[in-house]
Amino acid sequence: MSRLTDELVLNWRAMVGRTYVRIVGSIREPAWIIGDAVFPTLGMCAFVLLYRALGAPRSFEALAVIGGILSTYWINVLWGMGAQLYWEKQQGQLQLYFVAPCSRMAILSGMAIGGVLTTTLRTVFGIAIGFFVLGVRVEPFDPGQLALVFVASMAALYAMGMTLSSLFLLYGREAWHLSNAMLEPVYFLSGLYFPLRALGAVGAVAAGLLPLALGVDALRQVLLGADAHGLLPVGVETALLGGFAVVFLVLARFALRHLENLSKHEGRLTQRWQ
Amino acid sequence: MAVSARSFGARLRTAAWLGWQIESNWADPFVFVVYAVMRPLATALILAGMYWAVAGQAARRETFELFYLGNAFHIYVTQVLVGMGWLVVEEREEYETLKYVYASPIGMFTYLAGRSTVKMALATLSTLLVLLVGWFLLGIRWEWGAVAWAPLLLVLVLGMVASLYLGFLVAGVALLLPRAAIMLNEGLAVSLYLLCGVLFPIDLLPRGLQELALVLPFTHWYEALRRLLLGHGASARIGAWSDVTLLLVLLVTTVAFTFVSRWGYLALERRARQLGRLDQTSLF
Repeated sequence: MSRLTDELVLNWRAMVGRTYVRIVGSIREPAWIIGDAVFPTLGMCAFVLLYRALGAPRSFEALAVIGGILSTYWINVLWGMGAQLYWEKQQGQLQLYFVAPCSRMAILSGMAIGGVLTTTLRTVFGIAIGFFVLGVRVEPFDPGQLALVFVASMAALYAMGMTLSSLFLLYGREAWHLSNAMLEPVYFLSGLYFPLRALGAVGAVAAGLLPLALGVDALRQVLLGADAHGLLPVGVETALLGGFAVVFLVLARFALRHLENLSKHEGRLTQRWQ
Repeated sequence: MAVSARSFGARLRTAAWLGWQIESNWADPFVFVVYAVMRPLATALILAGMYWAVAGQAARRETFELFYLGNAFHIYVTQVLVGMGWLVVEEREEYETLKYVYASPIGMFTYLAGRSTVKMALATLSTLLVLLVGWFLLGIRWEWGAVAWAPLLLVLVLGMVASLYLGFLVAGVALLLPRAAIMLNEGLAVSLYLLCGVLFPIDLLPRGLQELALVLPFTHWYEALRRLLLGHGASARIGAWSDVTLLLVLLVTTVAFTFVSRWGYLALERRARQLGRLDQTSLF
């Protein structure tokens, strides 16, 4: 019993410690704050103005703003979670993670919690631009429901990020290219700037594979009601997001162990510049 | 003179060959090509998704083809112009080979020009694919018989020259500012997307930004391409100009930026060397 308690305390501390590092690290480099907060917002503005140029109903602009805000989280999942172990490898720090007595899942959980917190702070800029500069409006909504859907979306997204980080552990430069390649294609398949329903069957398949697709659809339904042109009822989407979170967490745990052994076996765990 | 030109050609070819080896050696050619065209293609599909979503409700849906065309040619700006900033970051930060390139007889300017040819080829491939998607999937077509080929060719060349030379300026800034280089590259890509009227007429920009957009050659490049291929431009403000005026403005802004960029690159490179920043890594 005592040993279990000790392990829990150790992993809890590791998680809190990694969360702290993520938060402090993210505010230490002002240029990165601008990059994470401002650039996705500028891209979002271009899509909103396209709707305006086409003379589309104003609700589509709100739809694009919500998608643009969520794109910030996806960028963080890819580069801050998925590719993190690649960065650590390049900096020569990865081996420290593996000699530490705590679970790697605790470290990744800390990274995820820190990532959600810092990214949420950065989305404030996107929200401000969307509402105050672009003049986007939402329907009256239930804050409790919004919080529930948001938490479920983040849990699913970051659990996916944990799985990706274990996959990227094995790879070197491919991790960089894979992260790059998973931006716009995932934006498209997730319907980040248009209702997922517009993609028909492709959209339904994407919703079954990508938590971002379900998350953005559910959040839009909470904030825009019928104007969101939702794919499935919010309750169903929230439950599916919870399922995604569990599946990806389990997958991450197994993938991390398997790929750690594989990369040790192949001698690639600490190999840089490959 | 002839020897000098031959020598330049040989160095350029070597840099282009090296660029291809560096960019593609992590994957087999098929995977690499898929990767190279995936992002621009996906952006085109995002636009398609937006169009499908509002097709029945948009008051000016016919203007979509203008923005789709602008987005297709903006690939040159993203891949060549911004890509040249990334070249410096990769060479210095990731491979730590910038100092060797700098010390080699090839010369940085020729090296960057050679590396950019690979990016130019990939950008051309991506643009063609995006145009094909538009042609077959979205019905964005034009009358081949009505196309004025000579002006179109001139406009295409001017746009590519502008992308290449502004790329030198971006590379120079990346040499001088190692810590901010990645952010500048990312920021420039998205800022030009917003500023040059790629996805909407520049008339929707606030005053001040409109004037800034009019200084950039790419704004005129997209408008000229729209007029030459689809028959009319997107901006009411530029719409008052005749085709000849538009071409002249494109020519003047491109030539001006070419000279400024060439001078700027050399000045920035010199300054970076003076400050000891050519090999200053900040990431790994």
